[in-house]
Amino acid sequence: MKIILSLLMLFSLMFADDATIQVIKKVDTLPTIAVEDASTDYDDTFRLRFFKSIIADLNVLSIFNVDRHHQLALFDDSDVNVADKDMAYVLRYKLEQDDNNALAVSIKLFNNDNVVFSKNYKVPKSDVYMFVSHAIAYDLNEFMGQPSVAWMKRKVIFSRVVKPKESEIVLADYTLSYRHVVLKGGLNLFPKWANKEQTAFYFTSLSGAKPTLKYVNIKNGNVKTILSSDGMLVCSDVSEDGKHLLLTMAPHGQPDIYNYNVQTHKYKRLTTYSGIDVNGQFMGKNKIVFISSRLGYPNLFSKRLDTNEVEQMVYYGNSNVACSVHGNYVVYTARETSNEFSQNTFNLQLISTNTDYIRRLTATGVNQFPRFSRDGDAILFIKNYKGQSAIGVIRLKYNKNYLFPLRFGKVQSLDW
Amino acid sequence: MKSIVLSGVVAALLVFSGCSSKEPAVDTQAANSAQATTEVQAPATETVSSENSVVDSSTNSVSMTADEIQSKLPTVYFAFDKYNITPDMQARIDAAAELGKEDVAKSLNVKLEGNCDEWGSDEYNFALGLKRANAVKKALVADGIDASRISMVSYGKSNPVCTEHTKECWAKNRRVNFKLLP
Repeated sequence: MKIILSLLMLFSLMFADDATIQVIKKVDTLPTIAVEDASTDYDDTFRLRFFKSIIADLNVLSIFNVDRHHQLALFDDSDVNVADKDMAYVLRYKLEQDDNNALAVSIKLFNNDNVVFSKNYKVPKSDVYMFVSHAIAYDLNEFMGQPSVAWMKRKVIFSRVVKPKESEIVLADYTLSYRHVVLKGGLNLFPKWANKEQTAFYFTSLSGAKPTLKYVNIKNGNVKTILSSDGMLVCSDVSEDGKHLLLTMAPHGQPDIYNYNVQTHKYKRLTTYSGIDVNGQFMGKNKIVFISSRLGYPNLFSKRLDTNEVEQMVYYGNSNVACSVHGNYVVYTARETSNEFSQNTFNLQLISTNTDYIRRLTATGVNQFPRFSRDGDAILFIKNYKGQSAIGVIRLKYNKNYLFPLRFGKVQSLDW
Repeated sequence: MKSIVLSGVVAALLVFSGCSSKEPAVDTQAANSAQATTEVQAPATETVSSENSVVDSSTNSVSMTADEIQSKLPTVYFAFDKYNITPDMQARIDAAAELGKEDVAKSLNVKLEGNCDEWGSDEYNFALGLKRANAVKKALVADGIDASRISMVSYGKSNPVCTEHTKECWAKNRRVNFKLLP
């Protein structure tokens, strides 16, 4: 009996920390939270917009059962609303506009009629209110002692094609509700953050004689040319320290993956297959994961940089066309149908190099551009379903997907 | 017996004890929202002048002829997810190569623009567009056109001629265009 128990314990320990295992039943019930609006300034439209943003952020935290009723209250009342007496937590906030049109937000978190947390926020303009909402959710998550959701405050950079051969590069929050065009004019694609701090990015310019990789410093607006290649040139990944880039380029008409050293400006060809090799992603310091057509259809492979050993990573799906890597985990887009004449379905799948499991992360529609957060806690992606586009956030730990509708043109590429 | 049940419960809890406990990397730069918003400044907009927009008046006659050749150059179409050239498309490339050997065309270069339909990830699509352009380049070289006169670019799915979601429309977008350069 002891042996069986020991084996059971060993089995459970082996898989306790594996994100490819899907938790389908959660034992705990989540604490309830209600939100009370005690704003004195701004019109109802703006107040409601802020309320919806905070509700969405609290939901994405996945640690509360969020009450969606928009309730009004007085900020200085010591008691919560009667309707909220049974709630484990009540978040009360007040929006105020100061003399310089800045938006000031004060919050109080009640637990059993006691204020257990309070904080004030300020942003120079009310149209960036969503950053305050994200910051409030971040702080509540910290207060509750949960693993960090620092990714909520990071910026997303994406490109969108506005008409043939013309695009824009846009900065946004993680829900893409805030959007600021940073580059327009010509065809500029594949933006990629150049560092952890998100102070600069790379992009491909297709407006000149040859595809050219450029670098933009967001702080001062300086644009620097890195290198050019005939055919195509894409920055697929930036190493953790920002010193190496994985580029897909084709100086001789053949798309392959190259490792570019930012300091020495030298590059080394990493793949030599005569078909298509693209989408290189660093996996640690000694390995890359990439998409190759070497089996006659696009699929995921890994290559060790010291021994040049190539390994097929996925044995499922007709066409696995894009991937993002964090630690030992790889999220990829799999085309589940290969019919030219019907609506194709693209789903996201998660694998780990440590196990043989595949976890399916989406079930319907066309799901593309998966990007891990820097800490691996969440995955961002674009979903197109029944003519509608949305940006999705997957919380792997909580097995939850959240969608935020997009009301503008198609995303060409995005980075987080 | 009690201890066995308890051990079972402990084991079950461990199975369901969550997945990832990876240490998060906190981005200190984005630590407050006000800072995040102040960082969002507009860098200088890059304006790229359109190439080949200036035509020297002394080469007017050549440019007219070049325009005529440009108008006669074909579009080469491809099958879904493919970059091989079909026999009917080979005939179009042969005709283009003959045009490229005309006296007035000998001083001109050609840019092959590879394009794709809306399916697939963009990076893979860009490579597919490039392989299509490269297949046409190889066919032109086999027809006697000097490789140094040919440059290539892939636009992936960012240069569609048709934006409806129909099979006819997708077929029109899976193509290589010829663009003459002085």
